[in-house]
Amino acid sequence: MSNIDRRTLVKGSLAALMAGATFSRAAFAQSSEPILLGVSGPLTGPNAQYGTQWKQGFDLALDEITAAGGINGRKLAYQFEDSQSDPRQSVAIAQKFVSDPRIVMELGDFSSPASMAASPIYQRGGLVQFGFTNSHPDFTKGGDFMWSTSVSQADEQPLLAAYAVKRLGLKKLAVLHLNTDWGRTSRDYFVKAAKEYGAEIAVTEGYIAEERDFRSTLVRVRDASPDGLILISYYSDGALIARQARQVGLKQLICAASSVYSPKFIELGGEAVEDVHLGTRYFPEDPRPEVKKFIAGFKAKYGGQEPDAFNAYSYDAMNMAAAVVKIGGTDRRAIRDAFAKVKDVSSVIFGAATFDVESRRVKGAMNAELVVRKGQFALWDGKPT
Amino acid sequence: MSSWLDYTINGLIVGNVYALVAVGLALIFGVSRLINFAQGSIYLVGAYIGWVAVVQLHTPLPLTIIVVAVAAAIVGLIIERFGLRPLQNSVRIAPLLATIGISFVLDQLVMLTFSPNPRALPSQLPDVRFQVGGGTIGPLDLLIAGVGLTSALLLFVFLRYSKLGWAVRATAQDRDAAMQMGVDVNRVNQAVFGIAAALGGVSGMLVGMYYNQIDTAMSLQATLKGVVAEVVGGAGNVPGAVIGSLLLGLVESYGVAVFGTSYRNLFAFLLLVVVLVLRPNGLFASARQAPPEPLTGTFIAPSRPVRIPRWALAVAAGGFAVLPLFPVSFYVLQTLINAWLLGMLALSLTLVAGTIGQVSLGHAALLAIGAYSSALLSLTFSVPVGLAIIGGGLMSAALGTALISPSFRLRGHYVSIATLAIGEIVSLVILNWESVTRGPIGISGIPPLSLFGYDLISPTSIYWFSFAVMVVLALLQGRLLTSHLGRSFRAIRDDDIAARAYGLSLNRYKSLAFIFGGFAAGISGGIAAHLYSYINHETFNTQQSILALTVVILGGLGNVVGAIVGSVALVGLPELFRIAAEYRILIYGIVLLLLVRFRPQGLLGTI
Repeated sequence: MSNIDRRTLVKGSLAALMAGATFSRAAFAQSSEPILLGVSGPLTGPNAQYGTQWKQGFDLALDEITAAGGINGRKLAYQFEDSQSDPRQSVAIAQKFVSDPRIVMELGDFSSPASMAASPIYQRGGLVQFGFTNSHPDFTKGGDFMWSTSVSQADEQPLLAAYAVKRLGLKKLAVLHLNTDWGRTSRDYFVKAAKEYGAEIAVTEGYIAEERDFRSTLVRVRDASPDGLILISYYSDGALIARQARQVGLKQLICAASSVYSPKFIELGGEAVEDVHLGTRYFPEDPRPEVKKFIAGFKAKYGGQEPDAFNAYSYDAMNMAAAVVKIGGTDRRAIRDAFAKVKDVSSVIFGAATFDVESRRVKGAMNAELVVRKGQFALWDGKPT
Repeated sequence: MSSWLDYTINGLIVGNVYALVAVGLALIFGVSRLINFAQGSIYLVGAYIGWVAVVQLHTPLPLTIIVVAVAAAIVGLIIERFGLRPLQNSVRIAPLLATIGISFVLDQLVMLTFSPNPRALPSQLPDVRFQVGGGTIGPLDLLIAGVGLTSALLLFVFLRYSKLGWAVRATAQDRDAAMQMGVDVNRVNQAVFGIAAALGGVSGMLVGMYYNQIDTAMSLQATLKGVVAEVVGGAGNVPGAVIGSLLLGLVESYGVAVFGTSYRNLFAFLLLVVVLVLRPNGLFASARQAPPEPLTGTFIAPSRPVRIPRWALAVAAGGFAVLPLFPVSFYVLQTLINAWLLGMLALSLTLVAGTIGQVSLGHAALLAIGAYSSALLSLTFSVPVGLAIIGGGLMSAALGTALISPSFRLRGHYVSIATLAIGEIVSLVILNWESVTRGPIGISGIPPLSLFGYDLISPTSIYWFSFAVMVVLALLQGRLLTSHLGRSFRAIRDDDIAARAYGLSLNRYKSLAFIFGGFAAGISGGIAAHLYSYINHETFNTQQSILALTVVILGGLGNVVGAIVGSVALVGLPELFRIAAEYRILIYGIVLLLLVRFRPQGLLGTI
């Protein structure tokens, strides 16, 4: 008998869910309600740190948008659903957002498997999926409702290669990359560009995201005798590699992708990341007004904390969403069409962002060549290290 | 040649790190015959307590170690007292599930308290480096080695020469006899959990200092590597765990040397499978040692299953079948689609784990094989999707059974560990076999579900399709269980020696079970691939295997209806708790623990 009780319990809760959905439908259509964006991303699970960084960027952007009067007098808000970057949960969230008429567009998810599994649902449901960290080359091929401000690796990696080969004069490179879709795509673009600039690729090593120990990998690197190490890493693994490289006695120049750009990189890497070069989209003393505003606002809101790359992506994404909603209103299709219409949206990453309608991505990311000096990110002065 | 010296040293250094976790696991396994999946979480807790001590309280190193050891030991005692002791008279699988639940809860508590951002945990030792070979080692390397070896040695002495140590060993050998001789078994368990937790906590802190980095994702990896090292050395054997860890470190390091970094874990898990197949009790088990698992099936104790009348099942199935005709949101339908897909996986696992007693911890691999086969069949060879999914099921049945067959001679926990390793191996092969699987880039543009030329695109049609497939599989499995075959399966589970004496060929029946189970799991993976349109090596990960096992134990092992009820519950609960945002996985873990506590034989009972 107890079993039947539980069964009714499950059904009862399902009924409650349905009731919730109908109720929200009734509550819609009051213009005093905020315009709601859906966010699908990791708040728990192995990628939880990135979800919390997103939130910081979103909240800062929303403060500024609200202070500036909102969207035609209405507030902008977001509903963050935790997906753990798990495709099973991101597809359920996708249906939740698609069937919730208050949601006008969606942002996220974080990882490619979670984002791209949800794409068919957003496409068929006619809700824009705005994936601002989705660099997978096939992401926007999911349909005309998929748009992305993620910096295309076809754009970023040649810049990094130019920094390493042309400016720093490295001739023989060892490339260490995260063995994910992002790391792998990036590596391929980097290797192609570096070879075009005349460098030799001594060795490439892909590692999985959970890896902590790189000492044996670094022996392989040493035996290939490169004159520079290229890290296509996030900040936590990048810091680990830099530390262990110095510990095993590798003294070569290290040049890293912009994804390591975070105060955490310096905190975790300590002295080992001193003199690490990195290409970034913005830097602390950047004279651009939008960057000054972003950094000052961020520090003021979060107790002096320095923003990092993922904060900047999410800040930009929220500003872009606001710009799109301003043109497109609250109609989902009009919002999709508005992505093609927005022009020169102020952006930390791109300076002024305009979508390329063909690829549904933004081209022309800003570029700054930095180096870590005395535990600070600084613009590289052209002096050898 | 000097590089080989460096690879050897690096292998020993990282083996050293694994040893700290493995020793704690070995100690607990030695006494309670339990793989403590919460050991990695204690390691995590230790790392963060260490952070508080070092960064906030500025304690000197010896004091830090004491603080961490005491705090972690208290956590261990709490786990033992409230999480595991109430389960000591229930089925032996229940404590395993409880440790999984405890690790959810601990990981989430740490994440909520400290935020998921990684933190630096500065080493408190002077930064001097000694040149060894081509590289250098620092004082922390020596300290970690010292702690590992000293604790192994102390434990050895404690177990051999102290009175409490004798009690621990007596309890490990025969719990009931020890109790009759007046050993306070609870006190022994307490002592063991306290020591193991203190060790786990200190190791988390030291490893955090070693890498100058701690984050909340470190717990599962620590458990995985610790389990591998422990089993290689011989489960329950403390010195063996240290040697197993060093061996694991060496194999990984040489693997990197010869084949490159992305093959590293592949070698770790291959080592495990090879050792298990050749020496099922681990490398250092002595011949005199009592068998680590009982010969007959107390691992999964039969219970009185809840009888559900047929009409009630028919009504429930009918209810779910007509659900989309009512104004139900697509979100609810999608959640139930996920439940049906997980249900197929759970049917598969409940058959192999519950009915024939092979508890698999790598079941997601069967999903992955089915998904990749179906995706590639439809993309590369333009096979219609319906047929491709069946092809995925067949492939999963064939390949899965072939991969698992070397572990047919194993028993109890060892099957779980071997399947865990096989699951990881499949995922790493998918990552590295780029010419077929496209490696980390994954497969995109997988065509949507379709049947006889009609695309199944609306959530309603996908719902009916997946529900129908699951019901058919469930009916087939129900039929199987009541047949002669089902009785043979259960006979093997309950007493394999008796079953053999009656002339049952164990391997043949185990293969049959895996063929049927592999087919159901492969179908589930195939449908998922066409539903998602994009898959890569991360889509079907270890967490899914653990989830599937949780579903099966929750529903009642071997219980077909239980597997489906469990799937609906475990897909539904996290969705229901969405309102709790960051807290939802914590609540989920607590609910899981309570269920195990009050219904260890599963909601519907073992069949």
